[in-house]
Amino acid sequence: MKIRVERDGLADAVAWVARSLPSRPPVPVLGGVLLDAGATDGSEGLTVSGFDYEVSATVGVPATVADGGRTLVSGRLLADITKSLPAQPVEISVDGSRVAIACGSAKFSLPTMPVEDYPQLPAMPQHAGELAGEVFGQAVSQVAVAAGKDDTLPMLTGVRVEMTGEKLTLVATDRFRLAMREFEWKPSGDVEDAAVLVPARTLADAAKALGSAGRSVELALSPTDGLLGLSGSGRRTTSRLLDAEFPRYRQLLPSEQTSSAIIGVAPLVEAIKRVSLVADRGTQVRLEFADGVLRLSAGGDDEGSAEEELPVEFTGEPVMIAFNPGYLQDGLAALHADRAELSFTTPNRPALIKPVNADGEVTPGYLYLLMPVRLPG
Amino acid sequence: MANRLLLVKADGSVSVHSDDRAYKPLNWMTPPCWLIEEPGMWVVQNKAGEKIAITIEEIHHDSRHELGAEPGLIKDGVEAHLQELLAEHITTLGDGYTLVRREYPTAIGPVDILCRDAAGSSVAVEIKRRGDIDGVEQLTRYLELLNRDPLLSPVTGVFAAQLIRPQAKVLAEDRGIRCVTLDYDTLRGIESDEFRLF
Repeated sequence: MKIRVERDGLADAVAWVARSLPSRPPVPVLGGVLLDAGATDGSEGLTVSGFDYEVSATVGVPATVADGGRTLVSGRLLADITKSLPAQPVEISVDGSRVAIACGSAKFSLPTMPVEDYPQLPAMPQHAGELAGEVFGQAVSQVAVAAGKDDTLPMLTGVRVEMTGEKLTLVATDRFRLAMREFEWKPSGDVEDAAVLVPARTLADAAKALGSAGRSVELALSPTDGLLGLSGSGRRTTSRLLDAEFPRYRQLLPSEQTSSAIIGVAPLVEAIKRVSLVADRGTQVRLEFADGVLRLSAGGDDEGSAEEELPVEFTGEPVMIAFNPGYLQDGLAALHADRAELSFTTPNRPALIKPVNADGEVTPGYLYLLMPVRLPG
Repeated sequence: MANRLLLVKADGSVSVHSDDRAYKPLNWMTPPCWLIEEPGMWVVQNKAGEKIAITIEEIHHDSRHELGAEPGLIKDGVEAHLQELLAEHITTLGDGYTLVRREYPTAIGPVDILCRDAAGSSVAVEIKRRGDIDGVEQLTRYLELLNRDPLLSPVTGVFAAQLIRPQAKVLAEDRGIRCVTLDYDTLRGIESDEFRLF
């Protein structure tokens, strides 16, 4: 193999593929990235790919191929090297069991790993539909925030993706909060309506990489093989689906409310950050809504305490409710709106947070359901 | 000279402690051994002729307490409890699991739990409070031995602990051993009083 490639394209490609590699690969070859020049899939240039039996990532990079071939090198090391190379064309050539990387006057020689031992990357499943990159990127980030990080309960570490005709629904919950986003997409019609559970971390990483503005993202799915594929901007990634039952969440959504408030997101977040400084390990911040005024407080008599007041548009019964400040901030940040509507039933029932547009109307399509914490006494 | 705690127990053992390393002495001698008190110096000696010489400059405090006969200490939340609780709630490992027995004997020591999965094949469970690489090695040895038994084979492994270290997890999964994180409070049936959506 002997190729010449632009430094930026190569560094981006390797960085993206290396990100999904396991940090402690049980088999050393799984810590490698596969460089394939004059690729076997017929496309010209260089293909960089990685796979750990869970997630695969493949990206094409334009390159001048003098001599085709495949080689496998340590992903982390290659990512570190390509990131720090000077902005000049990079020449990569394989000589025996070593690969030489030359850029400007910098030269590296790395040992390679046997390509034959590397697992076959899964093929892209059936094309299911497509949607705008920025919509997908934002939707996934809005929902994945509510997914659980503790893998004791696998169903809580996933984002449920529901494809129902022209509507795509993403949902995640960690038992304390639930985020749901619904939006339109363009189904291909080749894949039947389905609901699958995708590991949240993988989906969030992929959406961040593929969800750039002006590009479209293609979704591919094979529920029988348990595989989801995402592609766009020359990048392809596949992830194994979680084999777990997602809780029946629709029944959790409150059907009625006794009071609601409309408030500016930025001042509220600032105030929460300030008063929760005295909340021991982020235990709770209390919100007391009355006509026109929201009083935030945290801490207590034995420790430090803080309080702050904000103007609010409030209708309904006055309410005093407490939340985990971290979860509340996550929800407010995920709205991507200047103003938010918070609606309540009682202090021990979940509160609903929704984005509000410039006209003071609730923007449909997103909700963040947050369980309060027990008030003292 | 440094400040030290010298501990002479009724069993004859002598140990020298400092403020760090918890229960672990800086130096010690196990019984049978003899303590010879000389002016400003203790010499502890055993049958093999090994000696610890302790030079004493100043005594801050000197006291003697009889602790009496040991009634036995009952600990809460130890490995044995986890084993008992998991055996009681064996379906924590998966639906349809049934218990064969606790402390299933093998030639190299008992396996914590032997059970059967929903399909009826044998599953050996190793329980730890802290799941380290050692535990995975231990389970691997049991599995190798159990798999030689044609009546049990194939036996799969489950490594169950309250906390599993990432290295142990990688090793276990590489060997086809499933890792399960146990929640002591949940097993005991203590529901958290936090509000939850479900």
